[in-house]
Amino acid sequence: MSGSSGRLYAAIDRAADRMLRASVIERLAIATASTALALLIGVTIVAAAGYDPVQFITNMLEGALGGRSAIARTLRFSTLFILTGVAVAVAFRAGVFNIGVQGQFVVGGFATIMSIIWTAPLLPEGIVGGVGLLLIGFLAGIFAGGAYGALPGALKAYADANVIITTIMLNFIATGVVGWLVQNPFRGEGNAAPNTERIPEYVSLPSIVFDSSGFSIIGLGIALATVAVIFVVMERSRFGYDMVTSGHQESAATYSGVGAKRTVVLTMTLSGMVAGLAGAVFAIMIQGYYTDPSGIGTYGFDAIAVSLLAANNPLGIIPAGLLFGGLDSAGSHIGIYTDVPVQLIDGVIGLVILFVAVPELFRMAAERIGLGGESR
Amino acid sequence: MSLADYAGENRIRIAGIVAVVGVIVFTAAAMDLPIIDIVTVGFVERSLQAATPIALTAIGGLYAEKSGVFNIGVEGFMIFGAATAATMMWIISGGSPGQSDIWLAILASVLISLAFSIVFAILLIRYEADQIVAGLALWFIGLGFGPFMAVLVWDSRNSPSLESINDLTVPVLADIPVLGPIFFDTSPLVLFTAVLAVAAWKFLNDTRYGYWIQAAGENPEALDTAGISVTRVRYAAVIFSGVMAGLGGAVLLAQAGSFTGTGETMVSGRGWIGIVAYLFGNYNPLGAGVAALVFGGLDMLQIQLQTVGINVPNRLVNLFPYVGVIVVLTVWGSTRTPSAVGEPYESEE
Repeated sequence: MSGSSGRLYAAIDRAADRMLRASVIERLAIATASTALALLIGVTIVAAAGYDPVQFITNMLEGALGGRSAIARTLRFSTLFILTGVAVAVAFRAGVFNIGVQGQFVVGGFATIMSIIWTAPLLPEGIVGGVGLLLIGFLAGIFAGGAYGALPGALKAYADANVIITTIMLNFIATGVVGWLVQNPFRGEGNAAPNTERIPEYVSLPSIVFDSSGFSIIGLGIALATVAVIFVVMERSRFGYDMVTSGHQESAATYSGVGAKRTVVLTMTLSGMVAGLAGAVFAIMIQGYYTDPSGIGTYGFDAIAVSLLAANNPLGIIPAGLLFGGLDSAGSHIGIYTDVPVQLIDGVIGLVILFVAVPELFRMAAERIGLGGESR
Repeated sequence: MSLADYAGENRIRIAGIVAVVGVIVFTAAAMDLPIIDIVTVGFVERSLQAATPIALTAIGGLYAEKSGVFNIGVEGFMIFGAATAATMMWIISGGSPGQSDIWLAILASVLISLAFSIVFAILLIRYEADQIVAGLALWFIGLGFGPFMAVLVWDSRNSPSLESINDLTVPVLADIPVLGPIFFDTSPLVLFTAVLAVAAWKFLNDTRYGYWIQAAGENPEALDTAGISVTRVRYAAVIFSGVMAGLGGAVLLAQAGSFTGTGETMVSGRGWIGIVAYLFGNYNPLGAGVAALVFGGLDMLQIQLQTVGINVPNRLVNLFPYVGVIVVLTVWGSTRTPSAVGEPYESEE
């Protein structure tokens, strides 16, 4: 689709242009307004469906921030949103619409668990073996995620296959194949549920500060370190420069000798690697085994909202990831303690993305009520 | 453009399809697979039924893109279409739906899709929303609020068994061998879609408005100069595409007879496949219909394989359409899109 990809790039070009022209404050304002408006609509729907909106808001806040275990849960989700958000941001920043982070996340996490299960008998038990297996697991996750991201990248570069659609299809395929694998050949012996065996107890991220199962401050540390690394790669390295240039201005990049095809493949690989790392953290820190991926969270999809809220800037991913961690944590609280359907939260996340896509809406609204002042 | 012209312009594409079919037939023959048993009349009938929602969505999406707007939100519209049709069928009938309730539910679902489409079109055209991001957003909104509606009504993401549409048997015509059972003794929605595909093709190529739609996508300045509002034409095309996708979702529900809201819902990528179908069909409604049939066939292959005793796990056979999409995009990646797609148009006035 050379014509269409040219068109896509032009569209991204314009969007990027608009983004660059917008000041940081304006971006923040758009992100805040989008989230606020989406939440407002969510609360309105809750009220319309016959629930008490005040009670709903109280429950949301309680679920996100009420007490130590709620905060640990928020940070647990935030860790995953920061990692998957960075994976999306890497690609979007380079103008490649990787919608396949969910699939790369699944493939990465599955590879992590299987590699640990397979190599565990070869290493000594205890701390040394545990650290070794953790390293093996993380590397396997990063490698598998990267490879699963490189595939649509290569299809784009060498066969001009639309990345949006191929990555969405690869999500379905990842869920289906991994789902089948954990149900059949790799199902743990004697498991009633479609799960693999558990990884050994000694392969885990230690719970420090928060004594909560499913969250380790080390996981959050890995996420923040990833943000730092990606920030440096994208903002300070030659490769990052090429990536962003080819995303924003294909023609300029071609003139300056950047191999556009190679860049697309490398971008998708890097994005997939981060997604695979996210999958590894999810598999080790939260689950300890792998299950049918159609039942796990849609972190890779929600990450698109996280990245867009952050204007695809790695540093902006941190607050956006925390916000979404809070939303999801509130969602699970609501799911347990109220009968408001939790699917509402997914819908609200969709609304956030929709509003972020329409900055003009807020700009016009701001002009009308005399905020901002400057005309476009 | 006549069929002969279309065939002439798409020689490579058609040769490609023939080659693929040839390879499949050859492999099957070499492996001693009973092809005759696989491609039965029943298989064609089921494939056509599976293809209808995809074809309806593809035809709508094609109009939007022809007019210069990439409506990537069709998957979301399909989910809304299916969810509203299901809930409407339940509400209208008070919990025990019959055949007439299906038609009312489809109608209600189309009207609701119309309302959503108008809002979406305003965001895309008046407020110049990023078409890709907004379209993705619509998918996520559908994934959230579709099951949300189901939970509100049934306390579960899935509906109980509702009513599915009965076959329509046309007297006399149904007795024609092969064609009879395929077209005249099947879901009336199949025939409806076939007629609609032909009408959409004639309209796009043989009416003045059809030319306007094409001009809005290829050369909006010229259309503007001729005194036609580009914006108005685009509004019409985008709203049409949303309504068609909503209809596609409602038809999917009417054929399935119950709503599934787990995972990626019962729509499960059919909207995305619809987009690929019109790319594959080279922006021709008839071509899109044929492409939809290919995907519908892949979707229905499972039953056929079972009947001839080839045991591939369901979970894996269900992935065939997705693999098919990737193959299609890889082999026929380079379609020519209308030149002004994705660019907001601002009149000089």
